[in-house]
Amino acid sequence: MTPERFSRMLTEFFGDAAVFADKGGAQWEVHAPRDRCLPLLSFCRDHSFVHLAFISAVDWIAENQIELVYHLWSYEHRVHLLVKTRLEREKPWMFTAHRIWGHAQPYEQEIHEMMGVFFIGNPDLSPLFLHNWKDKPPLRKDFDSRAYSLKAYTLEGLGLVPPADKEDANVPS
Amino acid sequence: MYLPDGYTTLEKLREAGEYAEYDLFFGPNHPGMHGNFGYVLTMVGTEIVKVRPNAGMLHRGFEKAMENKPWAANLSLIPRVCVPDPDPNEVAYCQAVEKLLGCEVPMRARFLRSITLELSRLGSLYMGMGGLAGALGHYSTMYLMMIERDLILDRFEALTGARVYHIYNIPGGVRNDAPEGWLESVSRLLDHIEAQMPEYDRLLYENHVVWKRLEGLAPISAQEAMESGITGPALRACGVKADIRVDAPYAAYDQVQVDIPTSGGGDALARAVQVRLDFAESVRILRRLIAAIPEGPVHADLGNLAKLRVPAGDAYSKVESSKGEFGYYVVSDGGEKPYRVSVRGPSLPAGLYLCHKHLPGMKIDDVAAWMMSFAICPPDIDR
Repeated sequence: MTPERFSRMLTEFFGDAAVFADKGGAQWEVHAPRDRCLPLLSFCRDHSFVHLAFISAVDWIAENQIELVYHLWSYEHRVHLLVKTRLEREKPWMFTAHRIWGHAQPYEQEIHEMMGVFFIGNPDLSPLFLHNWKDKPPLRKDFDSRAYSLKAYTLEGLGLVPPADKEDANVPS
Repeated sequence: MYLPDGYTTLEKLREAGEYAEYDLFFGPNHPGMHGNFGYVLTMVGTEIVKVRPNAGMLHRGFEKAMENKPWAANLSLIPRVCVPDPDPNEVAYCQAVEKLLGCEVPMRARFLRSITLELSRLGSLYMGMGGLAGALGHYSTMYLMMIERDLILDRFEALTGARVYHIYNIPGGVRNDAPEGWLESVSRLLDHIEAQMPEYDRLLYENHVVWKRLEGLAPISAQEAMESGITGPALRACGVKADIRVDAPYAAYDQVQVDIPTSGGGDALARAVQVRLDFAESVRILRRLIAAIPEGPVHADLGNLAKLRVPAGDAYSKVESSKGEFGYYVVSDGGEKPYRVSVRGPSLPAGLYLCHKHLPGMKIDDVAAWMMSFAICPPDIDR
């Protein structure tokens, strides 16, 4: 399949909603709004992109958006396809893809935990890695891991000893 | 054993409320578990009813840590994502960065990358086959294979100074050329490996206990494997001819002949046989690479790597590791540090998804063999 043909098929089915780009090196990219993303993923799977490699999420804090990236691969055409959709950063949510690919479930569970994206219909969004986590999702850009470590893992941060003089502190400044 | 009428199986005992369900922790501290990962198994007698992955104890926050380090400094973290097979991580990350930089890697560096990748694969497959033997109670085979793996680590030590985490690849190529006589020493090692393999075949693959334990265990069809994200040997064991080295060639795999052997059958035995076929093919590829390696520079000039800046954009690069597809999705905003690095490990689909399909109904003694047959390596789930 050529990129032109795939692009034509996308326009036929999704009109202007799916924006196609050929990144070169057998990597293609499709942008779609949230409400067309799941039908688009289903369409891709039915058109030889059967392998969902994984789902990743990027926090674009300056644009106040979170981007979900679905990585698909076609064994038949040997093409890598990135399906991207953007969500608003405050209370982001998406429909689950686990009925299209079963293993989307743990990927979504991980993104829910690390990025704070809620996946409607996912049967299990319980914490996978973090136990008793009460802070903001750690892969968000405004989560400061150093400040968190100082708060959670030093005696001063835990309020167990009064703050020491700066010279005596065993915490590097 | 005498059981009264109507109480002949554990299931009936359970129905009668006389055999309660209980939770069993398989890991984090269990000889059949690799790393601080675990399954909480709900059991009836020795049979599994339900499984809950118990992850998080191994999580090191690599993806977050990589956002806070310069591009080249991240190479000290990246091999730690997969302990037995670290080099695919380095190569996948470097290739993604090179894609963004648009830089050309010299041919000798591409060959050296392929050679180290194949050596790393052999080391990891030794660990895989030995681990499988260990999971089935054949400890001698496991110890012997660990000795062979050590010989491979010796070659890595001679090349890079490190045995386990080599940090040999850098954006633009590899750190240094192979020392004099190194390629010959690898050839001699391959002679030794090929001479030794019949012994291990007799110990493991011609052992009818191994066949009896693995035959029919956790079968999976080709369609199901493809749609469940299974890659690498476990996918080829279903008869699917898929290998990233051929489908999307990288490093020097487009310069030498690479065949894709497949076993077919889809059960744990087919996966074990597939690992052996991959091993033999890897030795053949190594010999071809050593015969064809050209002279020349081993890295492109990218200036001071500590101050490397990568143009804004995103790129995905993947590598065929001994366990399947290792992929790095790298996003840059044009700065001195990555904006986002996202890792695709080969273990997650089986380790967190297929476990719910395969483990219920299985006996407790097969869990370690099941994990080994899918080459589930928790460090890339808990990364």
